[in-house]
Amino acid sequence: MDNFRESPEFAESEKMALEFSELMQFSPESIDETFYERLRVHYTDAEIVELGVFIGFNVGYHTFFRTLDFYPMFLPDGRLVSQDESRRIYGNRPMSHRSVSNSPALDGTSGEAGLPG
Amino acid sequence: MPIIDPIDLDSANDLGLTQTLESFEDLGEKDAIFPRLLGLVPGYAEAMWNAMAEAHREGGVDQKLKEIMRIQLARTAHDPYFAGLRSKKAIDAGLSEERIEAGCADFENDPQFTPAEKWALRYSYLMYRQPDQVDAAFYDEGKKHFTEAQIVELGGMIAIHYGMQVFMRTVQVGPDD
Repeated sequence: MDNFRESPEFAESEKMALEFSELMQFSPESIDETFYERLRVHYTDAEIVELGVFIGFNVGYHTFFRTLDFYPMFLPDGRLVSQDESRRIYGNRPMSHRSVSNSPALDGTSGEAGLPG
Repeated sequence: MPIIDPIDLDSANDLGLTQTLESFEDLGEKDAIFPRLLGLVPGYAEAMWNAMAEAHREGGVDQKLKEIMRIQLARTAHDPYFAGLRSKKAIDAGLSEERIEAGCADFENDPQFTPAEKWALRYSYLMYRQPDQVDAAFYDEGKKHFTEAQIVELGGMIAIHYGMQVFMRTVQVGPDD
């Protein structure tokens, strides 16, 4: 998650896909024609659209689900647990919630913006 | 032109996307760039647009309100493509450009919006700007105006439309493409 660019675990194509995902969530303004050209080194246009739609869908839904206060269904050791047990074990802010703090400042300011008016 | 070329209309029809393209015409965009772009992955085109259309047009919340929310979200996403489209059905039902603009501006202090509409507009406004403010207390307030089914309907609509708007922003489809 945090170190995929340097990690030997991932192929260059996988690093590009992970970067696509990261940028779409946190700085979509940096995804430009040059970035798409870099993606095309590894993927067809159809595969890029597949990735882009998949990422967009997840960016949209995970933020919504986060507001519903869902808890991880699994413990770190892999055991499936209920929402109540998960909340008791993980506390008020489990890691999966902390990993996305305020939503991306899409225009460089909106993360701090309050309500209009 | 978009960074990625959509498939042409003939190819989309050949792939069985005719109904999807016709459904998309409700947004007043004859070129149907979005479904033709997703046509590169045919299964996605039909499934994704059907889900977006269902979330936007069906359900128990006024479609005119959801149309204002959809446009407000597209502006949040900095997506000129979806921000520039208008639902024919919502416009035919009486939604005006003035009301859309009001819903994207200082809606909190605008007496033309009911408390329920203000909550819904606040929901879409905050979701990707300050999701921390969309908490249990926020949902409790929403439950004074909407059923839980309606709130999930709004949340799902917000999520799927915003996600696709962010993607469309990155492929840089302009209003004149």
